[in-house]
Parts: sequence; structure tokens; C-alpha cells
Amino acid sequence: MARISVAWANLMHERTRLMVAISGVAFAVILIFMNLGFMGALISTATNFYEQFNADLFLISPETLEISTSTAFPRERLYQIAGVDGVERTMPLYSEYLLWRNPETGVSRAIFAYGFNPNDPAFLMPELQEENARHILSRPDTVFMDRFSRPEFGPQDIGTTTEADRRRAIIGGTYFLGGGFAADGTLIMSDQNFVRYLAPRPLNLINVGLVKLNPGISPDKVAETMRSLLPADVDVYTKPGIIQHDSEYWLESTSIGFIFSMGVVVSFVVGAVIVYQILFTDIRDHLPEYATMKAMGYRSKYLFKIVLQEAILLAVLGYVPGLVAALGLYHLTTKATAGTLPVAMNGGRVIFVLSLTLLMCCLSGLISVRKAVTADPAEIF
Amino acid sequence: MFKAQQQSKFEPSRDNLAVQIQRLNYFFGAGDLSKQVLFDISLELPKGQIVILTGPSGSGKTTLLTLAGALRRLQEGSLRVLGQELVGLGDRALVNIRRNIGFIFQAHNLFESLTASQNVEMAVELTGDFASKRQQAVAMLSALGLDDRVDYKPQSLSGGQKQRVAIARALVNHPKLILADEPTAALDKKSGRDVVNYLHNLSREEGCTVLMVTHDNRILDVADRIINLVDGRLESDSSLNAFVQSKTKDSLTDISADMFIM
Ligand SMILES: Nc1ncnc2c1ncn2[C@@H]1O[C@H](COP(=O)(O)OP(=O)(O)OP(=O)(O)O)[C@@H](O)[C@H]1O
Ligand SMILES: [Mg+2]
Repeated sequence: MARISVAWANLMHERTRLMVAISGVAFAVILIFMNLGFMGALISTATNFYEQFNADLFLISPETLEISTSTAFPRERLYQIAGVDGVERTMPLYSEYLLWRNPETGVSRAIFAYGFNPNDPAFLMPELQEENARHILSRPDTVFMDRFSRPEFGPQDIGTTTEADRRRAIIGGTYFLGGGFAADGTLIMSDQNFVRYLAPRPLNLINVGLVKLNPGISPDKVAETMRSLLPADVDVYTKPGIIQHDSEYWLESTSIGFIFSMGVVVSFVVGAVIVYQILFTDIRDHLPEYATMKAMGYRSKYLFKIVLQEAILLAVLGYVPGLVAALGLYHLTTKATAGTLPVAMNGGRVIFVLSLTLLMCCLSGLISVRKAVTADPAEIF
Repeated sequence: MFKAQQQSKFEPSRDNLAVQIQRLNYFFGAGDLSKQVLFDISLELPKGQIVILTGPSGSGKTTLLTLAGALRRLQEGSLRVLGQELVGLGDRALVNIRRNIGFIFQAHNLFESLTASQNVEMAVELTGDFASKRQQAVAMLSALGLDDRVDYKPQSLSGGQKQRVAIARALVNHPKLILADEPTAALDKKSGRDVVNYLHNLSREEGCTVLMVTHDNRILDVADRIINLVDGRLESDSSLNAFVQSKTKDSLTDISADMFIM
């Protein structure tokens, strides 16, 4: 027959206390998930435009902080790696801020402009895949406008004519991309137009090198090869790699990381205090029994195990409903913000929060257990 | 006869002793606040004897019991329990000694969350005998007249029944020594009597030594021997009859009638 689980029996015996404890843990779990969810969603809005870039590898200067604060590097670097095994195509991408004039109010505002060779399949947005998109982009002074640009830039209708950096600009088409944290709006134009607007900008200095690989080729391996071929004035990133590169910049340079990490810490402490209260009360109520067990010949180690088991049981019993509720809230948030705040769960976070919950409960268990371990059998006679 | 025990040449062979205390002193507190509660106690309990320890409140009965139960560390003197000298033993060894002793407290100290049987099984688990623990627990509870209460939780048992479960827990591993501190104090007269009768009969069957502290004069009749402790000193040590005679001379009024019946 199995050992009697005093931990389980004690928890189950006090149903109300158990419910309070589970709710407390679940509450902390939900708060932690929401903080991480918002942080992840905000950071992903800062970098999710990368998903629309038709590239497996990205070359940037080591001085580039994030896409809109980039240092240009020689286009030769792309030629140097064009022959590497598995490379299907290399595509230069130019980027810079322009002053875009709102044709209705006449107010100019900085907009982020991409320049590329219209013959390159550099972007994945469906509007840019259409046959005549290439022709329209090739026309002089014609740009495509991001529909996610802020309304302050003025009308986004095709045919709108205004000025960019004192030069005529016609909206020849639109797409949906988004500018992340840095840009209020974006434009896409041909490299020819780009140099016209940003003269005297030469075409042999590029901001991002896009590399498309043949299907089935491992980006990590090719990146490794390229790093060994290229000089130090350029870094090679995979798509997840560059997303992480930019995310880390935003986490460090903005207060997002701090605010939500504080949120996690506060939730952790709240949860730990609740669990501590519950375990402490439980131990206090059972002190004569624990002391009796010691008199009978049980060692402190065994009492230690009971309290730790109670802590782990509470962690698991509270985590599961917390996770379920968090999934529901993620869904609600995404729906309520019409997808602009894409709060999504991922496996790493599920594991991370579970570990955090276990840590939280065990920590409280360890603090409260001292009382049980010091229960003196001589005092209960 | 108290004197005689201190003369070593009349000492019975050590093998026949469950407890042997020699020149024991005990102090609470340290330094200037130190207060001596036990003075030069020497006492021998032969195996199988049922001994009652009485005395006024604060005279040191509980302290003596916890010392004999290896629940406190010895300071001065020598104390052998079941053939083992306690002086100089480490924590682990003291815990091992305790496993051979049955403890019964004034409060039953049962886990409210566990059934009567499970509470008793907790003691059996200490022996590592998991296969028959339920069987042993049920057998012991039946011996205490609780066969129909085996799977009840303490909250649905009466005070006397709870104390009988606590006794089952103390006896289930067949300890050679039982230490009980006022086991009937929280019980009414009838259930107190029941509990003591069970304790008396079972320990006789098992042949174990019992050292029981009590203020309850109604249960003195179960004792082979009565020891009186006053202000930390052994005041008298006598057989039941001698004790009763000496006390009736002092016109002790509250000895109830039923102690003479048994
Ligand atoms: N932990 C302690 N610290 C200091 N003094 C103590 C402690 N425990 C008991 N004492 C003192 O030691 C003396 C003996 O106490 P003890 O509990 O052994 O008496 P007792 O004979 O069991 O009394 P009662 O019949 O009231 O239970 C008392 O004066 C008591 O105040
Ligand atoms: Mg006492």
C-alpha cells in the first residue's frame, strides 16, 4: 500500500482554504501571463513587418540598432555571398526617412521609405505581387503607401498627389505593412525613385541585404558560412535572429521591458505572499500534529517534504485554471483590439510561467516550513 | 525503599530495566535566569511495570517524562532507556530511540484530515511495513473497541474515541515503553476510565512498561507503583496500597470509589 499523502489530505480537508489558495495562485498566474502577453504583443508589433520580407537571411551593419536606425554598408557584400551554396537570390534594400506632406493640411511629417529594385520579389504583400505593380513602381515620382500609416499623413487613395522632401509624389498603390515602433508610416518605392528623393544618396550603399535561399536549405548553416566569408562591417541574421535583434533593442531602449517585467515581479510577489499565508496558516493549525509526528520518530526532512508537496500541489492546481483563463483573455484582447495587439501564447511561455509558479510556491513553502521543522515535540506534552 | 534504589549493590540486573535514571538534574534557561526543576532524581522502572507519576502542578513531571522520551537533551546525570544510554547521543540516534517509545499526550493530536486508520497507519509507516499497515492499524483499533470507527475522521469521533485512536497509534508498533502525560485530563469520568482500562489491559498483554503522569486519583488503581514528585524531588515511591494508606491518613477526599473496585 502506498504511503499516506498527508499533504494531499491536509489540502483537501480545508476546502475553503484550498479554493482561496488555488484562486490566489491562478490570479498570480493570470497576471504573469497577461504581462508577458502584452510585452510579447507590443514587441511583436515592433518587429512583425519582418514577416512580410521575402528573405531567409538579413545582412545589416553591426551599427544598425533597429531597421529605422541603420547604418549603410557596401553593396559588394551582397555580391560576395551571392555564390554561396543554397543562395537563390540576393536583393538590396534601401531605407530612410522622408518628409511627407499631408495634401489636406499642408503639414509635413517624417515617413519611413523603403527603396528596392521592382524586379526583385523583396516583399510578400499581395498588392506588390500583382503584375502591373512593377510597372507602376517604375514610373517616376510614384510610391506605394502603407494603409497602416497614421491618418496624420493624409489621404491614402491611389492617385493622391503631394510632396515628399519638396519633390512631387503620387500614390500609385497601397499595401498593408506597419512601421513598428519607429515609423508612423511607410512608403515603398523603386530604387531609382529612392535616389531621386534622397539625392545625393548613392545606390552602392545599402541598408539591408536580403538573401533568399533555395527551398529546404537551413538558414543557420548558410549564415554560418557567410559569416566566415564576410568582413566585420556586416552581420548576418536569420529571420528569427533579426526579429530578436530588433526586439532586444526595443526592450532595452524603451520602458516596455521594464514595465512588464515589473508587472511580472509584482504578480510573482503577490502570488508568493498568498501561498505563504495559506501554507503558514496550515502549518500553524497542524503544529501539534507535526510535533507529535516528530515525537513518534519522524524526522524534520519528512515534515519538510509534506510542506513542499503542498506547495507543489498548490502550484499545479492553481496553474492549470490560470493558464486556461489566460488563453481566454489573450483571445479576448486580440479580438477587442481587432488584431492590432496580437496577444498570443507560445510553448516557451507556457513552460516559463509553469516554472515561475513552481518557484513561487516552493519559495513560499521554504519560508513557511521553518515553523513546521522547529515544532518542538517537548512542548506539546 | 526510595533510598535502596540508590545503593548500587541492590540494583537489579540492567537487562530487566526499561528505564534507569541516575542522579539527574535539569535546568530551564541559562546563566542568571537558569532555574533548576529536577533535583538529583534516581529512579528505576523494571520491565512490565505500570507506574503512575503524580505530584503538584509545576513539580516537573512533564519535564521528567520528556527527558525519558528522548524529547529533551540531558544536562546532568545518566538516563538509560530500553538499554540505551541517552547521554551523548546525536539527533539521529535520539529519533531512533523515540521510535521504540509510545507517546500519549493530553491532547489526541490526530490529523483531522486523516481517518482513524490512516492516523494509526502513519505510525506503522515508520517501520517501513507498507504491505500490512492497514491490517495492523485495524487490528489495533479493534483491540481498543473501535472496529466500527476505523474509517471515521476525528471530527466524527467522541473525545474518548479520539484518545483511544491516539493510544492505538502509540501502541501499534508494540513499543516496549509507553509514556503518557495526563491522557484522561480532557475526558469525562466514564471515557477516561475506559481509556485507562484499555491502556492497562493492552500494556499488560504486550508486557510493556508504562510511565503515566496523572492528577486523576480515580485511575490510580491501575498502577503497580506510584511515584510522587514534589518541587522537582522524588517525594515518595510506593506500591498502590502503601500510597493509598498514606494518603487516606491525610484524609484525601477525592479518591473516587471505583478505584477500589478493580
Ligand atoms: N520550556 C520551559 N521553559 C522554562 N521553564 C519551564 C519550561 N517548561 C516548564 N518549565 C517550568 O518547569 C517547572 C516544571 O514544569 P513541568 O511542566 O514539568 O511541570 P508538571 O509537573 O508537568 O506540571 P503540571 O502538572 O501543571 O503539568 C515549572 O516550574 C515550569 O514553570
Ligand atoms: Mg505537565
